[in-house]
Amino acid sequence: MTESPRHGTSLLAAVWRRAPGRAGLIALAVVVAAAVASPAFLPSPIEQPDIEHASQPPSAAHPLGTDQLSRDVLSRVANGGRVSLAVAAIAVTLSITIGALVGLGAGYWGGAADAVAMRIVDAALAIPRLFLLLLLLAMWEAIPPAAFVLVVGVTGWFGTSRLVRAEVLRLRESDYVAAAHGLGARAGRVMFRHLLPNALGPLLVAATLGVGEVILLEAGLSFLGLGLRPPRPSWGGMIFEGRATLVTAPWATMFPAIAITVTVLAVNLIGDALRDALDPHR
Amino acid sequence: MRRMLLTAVVLLAGVAACTPEAPAPAPGTAVLAVGERATSLAPVLPATRRTADQEAADLLFLRLAGLGADHRTTGDDGFEPQLARSWSRRDSITLAFELDPRARWHDGAPVTAHDVVFTFGLARDSIFSSTLSGLLRHIRSVTAESDHLVVIGFDQPYAEQLYDAVFHVQPLPAHLLEQMSPEEMRTSPFVQAPVGNGPYHIVADNAETLELAASDSFFLGRPGIRRVVIRVVPDPDARLNLLLSGELDALGAVIPPLENAARISDAHALRLIQVPSNTVGYLLFNQRDPTNLARPHPILSDSSVRRALVLALDRASMVRAVLGSSAQVPYGPVSKQLWIGNRSPEARGQDLAAARTLLASAGWRDSDGDGTLEKGGRPLRLSLMVPTQSATRRQMALQIQEQLRQVGAAIDLAVIEGSVTGERRNKGQFDIDFSSATQDPTPAGLTQSWTCRGGSNVAHYCDPAVDSLIERAILASRGADTLWQSALRRIERDAPAAFMYAPTTVYAVSSRFDHVDIRPESAWITLWRWTVKPGEAIARDRTPGS
Amino acid sequence: MSRWLIRRAGEAVLTLGVAVCLLFVLMRVAPGDPLSRLGDDRPVSPREVATLRARYGIDQPMLTQFGQFAGAAVRGDLGTSIEYSRPVARLIAERLPATLLLGATVLLLNFTLGLWLGVRQAVRQGRLADRALEFVSLTAYAIPSFALALVLAWLFATHWRVLPPGGMHDVLLSPNARFAARATDLLRHLLLPAFTLSLVSVAATMRYQRAAMIDALALPFVQTARAKGITERRAVWHHAWRNALFPVVTLFGLWLPILVTGSVFVEQVFAWPGLGSLAAVAVASRDYPLLMGTALLVSTLVIAGGLLADVLYAVLDPRVRHA
Repeated sequence: MTESPRHGTSLLAAVWRRAPGRAGLIALAVVVAAAVASPAFLPSPIEQPDIEHASQPPSAAHPLGTDQLSRDVLSRVANGGRVSLAVAAIAVTLSITIGALVGLGAGYWGGAADAVAMRIVDAALAIPRLFLLLLLLAMWEAIPPAAFVLVVGVTGWFGTSRLVRAEVLRLRESDYVAAAHGLGARAGRVMFRHLLPNALGPLLVAATLGVGEVILLEAGLSFLGLGLRPPRPSWGGMIFEGRATLVTAPWATMFPAIAITVTVLAVNLIGDALRDALDPHR
Repeated sequence: MRRMLLTAVVLLAGVAACTPEAPAPAPGTAVLAVGERATSLAPVLPATRRTADQEAADLLFLRLAGLGADHRTTGDDGFEPQLARSWSRRDSITLAFELDPRARWHDGAPVTAHDVVFTFGLARDSIFSSTLSGLLRHIRSVTAESDHLVVIGFDQPYAEQLYDAVFHVQPLPAHLLEQMSPEEMRTSPFVQAPVGNGPYHIVADNAETLELAASDSFFLGRPGIRRVVIRVVPDPDARLNLLLSGELDALGAVIPPLENAARISDAHALRLIQVPSNTVGYLLFNQRDPTNLARPHPILSDSSVRRALVLALDRASMVRAVLGSSAQVPYGPVSKQLWIGNRSPEARGQDLAAARTLLASAGWRDSDGDGTLEKGGRPLRLSLMVPTQSATRRQMALQIQEQLRQVGAAIDLAVIEGSVTGERRNKGQFDIDFSSATQDPTPAGLTQSWTCRGGSNVAHYCDPAVDSLIERAILASRGADTLWQSALRRIERDAPAAFMYAPTTVYAVSSRFDHVDIRPESAWITLWRWTVKPGEAIARDRTPGS
Repeated sequence: MSRWLIRRAGEAVLTLGVAVCLLFVLMRVAPGDPLSRLGDDRPVSPREVATLRARYGIDQPMLTQFGQFAGAAVRGDLGTSIEYSRPVARLIAERLPATLLLGATVLLLNFTLGLWLGVRQAVRQGRLADRALEFVSLTAYAIPSFALALVLAWLFATHWRVLPPGGMHDVLLSPNARFAARATDLLRHLLLPAFTLSLVSVAATMRYQRAAMIDALALPFVQTARAKGITERRAVWHHAWRNALFPVVTLFGLWLPILVTGSVFVEQVFAWPGLGSLAAVAVASRDYPLLMGTALLVSTLVIAGGLLADVLYAVLDPRVRHA
């Protein structure tokens, strides 16, 4: 094992030292700050002051214009960020956790449990995630945010479990795991104290990239009309609602699209820097 | 952005019928686009029928007679002869139709009285055709007195006998089908590749296009448009892009959004045509508890709550913002195209104060100060079901949600796929359903949804006074209008629904076509009478079909 | 080798079986069924819906339906689509060419442009060109494909009018037209969807190839070859690239599901008549037979892709077979 930094702060510092990582952190910080602070000083993202004179171009009163329901686009982009980021963060945490547990268990115990689990994982990986999501999301007539996050999280762990399992298989036979067994350590202790920490690096990278993937996925599902329910703003939902006026009122769709791109780019820059930091070889 | 809209709209009235003797105009090609692929091109046979199917079938099959330009469904006049050259009334319950001897199936066989009798036999079979047989319930007998004489008998005198006899059933070729059992017919290749008797026949049918060619021997006249290509494009924006880039010659339902009207007007080769629609959109209030249909709805069974919700809505400005100035707020469940719809008063406008008073007098208060009213511990929170596929309803639902919030009603939007909304509606599992009904051209169709025992009365609205008014109006030979208006007033007062919009459908059509007449009952039904203006033919008009 | 292959193929079939069961259960647990949409267009009575449901057999118990489906599918009969009233196999056959054409184009771009750019980046690691390409590929990877598709359709089709806005063919072009004319027409229609879909996947391939190539360039024997004074070109392409290619090529199997997912959006915006939009219709209308048919095909493709990648890997690296 390399002497890779394990502690959160030193990892953050390592990302910050790399220029792309720094750019990603700054961009993400700006998006998060806007999302968190927006309710304090922006107009309501749901009020429709003037539906008969909607789709107004950017002006002093509405720096990013208004959408076709006369709502303030800036406020909706900022508020949409809260939703997109929160959904992505929670869903990815969920899928990483499930994936890690399944991977740990399958890799550690092996045998029939491993065979069955991996057969199911293979089968699930053979069905495109979007198919799975379309089917699952159709089960709710008005999907509560918690259920949405759950569904997205539950369909995202298959790859992670394979990753962790491979890492566990590599380490299972290593000397120090054998030593832990020799000292009478219990299965749980071996898994969580010895195996899991060694898989944390790849897990962290997978999680970062997963956040970007989920933001895009959430946007795509909203684009198909299957995202979170209105009037709660979300970036994908804004594009879905505004696409019909893409040409006549481009601000209503372009700004959320830019927000998605910037956020996903930022997260991926951080993920790359993280990978580099964990693997000094590159 | 709104003022320039629809100024270029041209409303075409009826068009003089084209006579067979007229000199043949330049051949034309029309490329259309639809959102759904037609699944069954033969009439009568399919168990279910959607707009895409009907519009395609109407290019392939004729009726005994078509609706006239004024869309009247009552009386015996004003219909256009098609397969029947003429008809006469023998008594108050018997009509005789003389078939046009020139009418031919596309395989060359003549259209006979036997075909008509055969098809009515299928359509009146309540097991084979549950919808059609209901519509034809007043027809007692259909007999062929000779090869070209069909006699249809009714069980009682009423004003829409001729309409019932000619509109619902498009005759099928008996000589190709009668050897099969009804179930075999339904699954036979004929359903997708039928032999018709109309102006066009099928040339090619695949995932992308349905291509039709004009029948040279069509007995009502040589179609001016020789080739019709119907493209299947599910995405509305993709359809608009095709239209604006010049690949389409005609497209229906181009708004919302209203901005499209301006974009199309700017494209010089296109013009906009408004057609009164036979659709009405409404918020249907469930009268029963969705969790237990035996119980009344805990909130919506109270008519003052329903009336308050209607009063809280600024329907007029919503309709203007989404559909433009040509659409209206309907009075009662009546589309613009129904003749009784033209004589009704204006629908009531928004009155927030009255809405709040009504809710307060019904016992609703905001006791916890969260902005939502409560009564007996139950918040005024309702779910509004909207199908994903409808842009109009999606946009209006967002406005409705915001406007009802202002009187203290919390609306949860459930924007869900049509397949799920349909099932929930049929099972009565909804608080408010944003429905849109495509109505038959006759007001008699109102019995389906707004009478106590109506087959589609999924909200369980029941007012015996309305039932009796409607039944009397259908059977009345005179004074029907007054009875219909009384029924509508009664429905408005009960507020079983908030009647939101009666749109005019806006079509975009290439300006090189002449004699364009788009009918509300079926968009392309008179397409064969369109012509290319002399000297304005473009390359695609001249290229021969495959 | 053959024994390994048989075992691997057996696993693939088993995986497919599990995937089909998974899909079937998911689909039937979802609410709504194909006939419930009837009420959307015009009023339909609940009794009528019940009659139709019986006619299509969707009132049968789930297990019976699954048995019927599995039995017929083994015989190659995928049933009849409820939404389209046509045989599912025929509907899929109609759409398959469009999907294969688009998919093949994207894969081709991936494995030419993507690999080449990745190698160039690795060779110039850390320099301006590498950094610029890195930024471009990361940005491309972050753009939502549907938003890009919307903008491209507007710019190229309705604003500048240089490319067709959608579809796969000029519907007015005679099928008897010369081959060159038909090929040009197809190419013009293919350009925008293929570009949109490629942008994301080429970006990803570039990144994988860059990483693999950097590893390969650091290998001792490549360093030695370089030190021995062979041309840079030969060192890069002949020695290093051969080692860097395998890990990327074996990602082949991974691309298929991503392409299917991406094409759902791209096909919608560009009206491309492929399997993605067919699947979207099938999901939206709960057309069980059609959905099972498309899902079965896509899953088969993915599993076959994975098998192919494994075989490729085994051929290239014999150690795997005995692992």
